[in-house]
Order: sequence, then structure tokens, then C-alpha cells
Amino acid sequence: RIMPVRWSRYNPSYLEPEVKKESYQKPLEELTEEEREQMELKAVRPIKAAPPTVSSSVFSDPMISKFTNMMMKSGNKVLARSLMCQTLEAIKRKQLEKYHKAPENEKETIECNPYVIFHQALKNCQPIIGLSNITKGGKTYQVPVPLTDNRKRFLAMKWLITECRENKHRRTMMPEKLSQELLLAFNNEGPVIKRKHVLHKMAEANRAYAHFRWW
Amino acid sequence: TLRLICTTTAVQRKNARASGPEKYTEAFIKKQIEEFNLGKRHLANMMGEDPETFTQEDIDRAIAYLFPSGLFDKQARPMMKHPTEIFPEQRKIQWGEDGRPFHFLFYTGKQSYYSLMHETYEKFLNVQKHQDQLIAEDLPLQKEKRNLAGSRWLTKIELEEMLLEKLSDDDYSRFIQLLQKLVALPCADIEESYIQKFSKELPVQLQEVVIEPLQYDEQGKAFSTGEGKRKTARATAVVYDNGTGKITVNGADILHYFPVLQDREQLLFPFQFLGRIGKHDMVCTVSGGGRSAQAGAIRLASAKALRSFVTEKEVECMRQAGLLTVDPRVKERKKPGQEGPRRKFTWKKR
Repeated sequence: RIMPVRWSRYNPSYLEPEVKKESYQKPLEELTEEEREQMELKAVRPIKAAPPTVSSSVFSDPMISKFTNMMMKSGNKVLARSLMCQTLEAIKRKQLEKYHKAPENEKETIECNPYVIFHQALKNCQPIIGLSNITKGGKTYQVPVPLTDNRKRFLAMKWLITECRENKHRRTMMPEKLSQELLLAFNNEGPVIKRKHVLHKMAEANRAYAHFRWW
Repeated sequence: TLRLICTTTAVQRKNARASGPEKYTEAFIKKQIEEFNLGKRHLANMMGEDPETFTQEDIDRAIAYLFPSGLFDKQARPMMKHPTEIFPEQRKIQWGEDGRPFHFLFYTGKQSYYSLMHETYEKFLNVQKHQDQLIAEDLPLQKEKRNLAGSRWLTKIELEEMLLEKLSDDDYSRFIQLLQKLVALPCADIEESYIQKFSKELPVQLQEVVIEPLQYDEQGKAFSTGEGKRKTARATAVVYDNGTGKITVNGADILHYFPVLQDREQLLFPFQFLGRIGKHDMVCTVSGGGRSAQAGAIRLASAKALRSFVTEKEVECMRQAGLLTVDPRVKERKKPGQEGPRRKFTWKKR
């Protein structure tokens, strides 16, 4: 049984809102049994209000908003959002430069869409297995443990941001640093990918303690 | 369990509990009911109305007129209601004159709860026996699925009222699990009448809200109004038909009033969802709250106004997208002994 500790201002019977327009335009025949039951349930239960960060336009992406929130410092969403936009613009500019300089046969392989690059870079950075501290008999061991999807995404984004904030020259602007990191991650190079590989090697080395996990 | 901030009136009422010996005898309550009916007829006479058709609302109005009270709490003002609403329901004495209890489960402490569980399990075994019989005769089992979405189980408070006994969360969840197991069996249709005692119909289609018709101004343009709120901001929006997509807030253009892109996105969200960006004009007034709260308030107001221009299915789509619900999240209050709503004071060892 799940026992949530925090409380929310909504009654537990309220369901999450579905913002995308496409999901409402599907005809009835294409839906599976579960989706039909979901639809019936939605018709009867009340629904929570859509949060202000989410909108149905093509430009709003849940991953990008999560990343912007993680970059935000002391609630300054305006600054975080502008930095994110400048990063995406910088990625686009760099890719276009490469595109115009490349010979004809390579032009199709170069990816210019900054959203695709962002998603692919995040996917490449996500670790598959993580380590957790388990204390047994007085000693703390690093035990390899499977990670949930949310945790993987969170770790990838966190590594990218800490990498940009700490390991770069003080005077470079954040969009520059971030776009560089994202392009390196997109090509499976760079310090973040290295960190992911280090974590995987540690997990492989500590394989012996895997039986300490009880969940 | 999730602690709810939103409480219902049922919770605020006193729960029916069997606490100690009887406070009001049956004879006493009967006398109260007679007195209430007599008093109702006297009141009707006094007010000059017909004693036969004097409803509870008339009584409330009459009392408010004869005994005006400036007290803030509605429960503290003078009221005249039927005795069953004032005196909570009680259990009769559970034992006879010789001290021997009537019910065989009296000494468990929660006799009604355990007898209920006993009965439900009996029905469960019945259904299983019936199922076994059908399998033995090689007849097909009934596989019509009961519509789960249209009904809900009784809440803990409602169950407590039904049993006139206090329940714990654990007890309640065990009972609901047993009911769900019973419903999951294929031949549960036999016990349908028993199950219906514990389930309530949910109002199908939460479209209890009335959609107002369009209004027309002097030049023949159709328009409709909507009101919205978010945190402390209150907004009213007037959406005109056959427009160019211009939006005016408090007399200024949206580019001037909302320099941040996120707020403008929120304003355009309802229009973009319905695909009517260039077709409507909007004039809104907003006050209170901050930047984001005002944007949310205007979004709600414009979504409410757009309901009149759009088909019912699209209104349902808007509701499922979360455009038509008032956001109940407000700033949490600071508690005494803590620095903020959650942050505690710095812990000092000495």
C-alpha cells in the first residue's frame, strides 16, 4: 500500500488533466479496453486544474519545463526560461553552421531540431543502474539497484546542470556551456557520459553485494 | 493517508457515536417531534400562512425574521429544525433487563461491524457455491461486467452513520476490499441487491454546470462573460465573436501588461485548445494577486466565457484538460512554533 505523507488541496478523487489536443480527436473505435474504461472514469470524476507551466501549444514540452525548473534559482522562472530559450537557440545556430559547412552527402545526417537533440542527449545521459547505501552489520555498502524512469531522468538532468555550473570557466555564459554539453552528450562524448560510464563500472564492480537489496 | 484540507459538511457535523448510556430516550424524542409539529403550526398561524403547506425554508425565514441575530456563526443563531436533525441518531440499549446482551457479537466491541463482515463473507461463499454448481453443470458463467465508473462505495463517514458505530481506517479499508473481491467474481449478479446497499450512484457526466446562452450587444455582435479566480486574483472576461484576436487587459494590450511569455501562453491556452485563435476578441479586467495568479484567473474566466460559443463535447474536452476547474491551491499559513509553513526554527543543541 502507498502511504503518501504530504497533503494536497485536492480531494483524492480528482484526476490529472490531459492537455494534448490529439488525444481528444481519436475516434472511438481505435481505443483499447483500458482506454475506454479510463474515458468513462474521466467523464464522472472531477479533474484538477491545469498548472500554469503547462499549455496545449506545440512549444510546451514537459521535459523542457522540468529542466527549466531544475535550473531555476530562488524562484526566478523568468531568468531560467530565458536561459533555456537562449540554449536552444545556440544549439540551433551551431548545428546550422555545421550544416552549411558540411559536404552534400553528410547534410542529411546532421540533426538541426534542438528539441530532438535535447531529448536524445538526455536519453544518452540516463544511467541504467544506480548505487544505494545499505548499512549491514555496521558497515555501509554501495549496492547496485535498479532505477525508476523518473529517477533516471532526474539524475541525467542534475548531472548536466552541475557539470555546467561547476566544471567550466567562470566567465562563460550558461547557454553557451549548456549547448556545448548537450551537443557532446548527443554524440555520446563529454564529461556527463563519462560520469554515467563510471557509475555503471562501479555498479558492475559491486555486483557481489547485489543480494543485500531487499526490494 | 492523505490529509484533506477540503472538508465536507458531513465531517463538520458530529459523528453518530455510541458513547456511553442513552442520553435521550425514545419517548423524549417522540415528545420533541410532537412539540416541533405543534410549534410549526403555531408559527404558520403567526406568520399568516397556511399550516399545512409550511416548509422548512419558510420556518427558517420566519425564525430569522422574528429573532434577528448578529452572530457570525450560523450554528449559534436561533434555529428550529426537526428533532432528527438536531439530536444525533443513537443506538438503543444493547442488553435486556437481566444484563444479557441481545447480539451474539456484543463482546467484540464493534458488533455491527463484525456482523456486517460476517454477512458479506456469507454472500461471498454463496456466490462461490453458485459458481461451482454452474461449473459442475458445464453452464457458461455470466461475464457481464458491472459498470465500475458510474458508482462509488460509501465513504467511511457514511458507513459509520449506517452502522451507528465508530470505525477505524483499517476496518473500513478491509470492508471495501471484501466488497471489491465480491464484485470481482463473475456470478456476483445474484447478490446485486445486497451490494447496492453499499454503493452510491455518481452523477453521470459532471456537467451539472449550466452553460449560459450567448448575449447580443447593440451592433449585433455575440458576446459572453466569464469570471475566474486564482489565489487572490479576480478576473472578469468578455469574449466577442467575429473578432481579430485582440486581447485587452485593464485597458492595456497584453504585450504591455504581461511582458513574460508564460503568462501570454496561459491567456491563449483556451483559444489554442479550441482552435479559435484569430476568431475572438477579448476585453478583461483583473485585480489582486501577482503576475502568474492574474494570468491564471484570466485563463479561467475566458474558458468559462468560451463555453457558450462551443458544442457540449468540446466543453467536456475543456473540462478534461483542466481548463474549467478553479485551482484551490493557496499560500499555506504559518504555524506557531515554526518559522514558516513548513520550515522549523534552527535546532540548537544548547
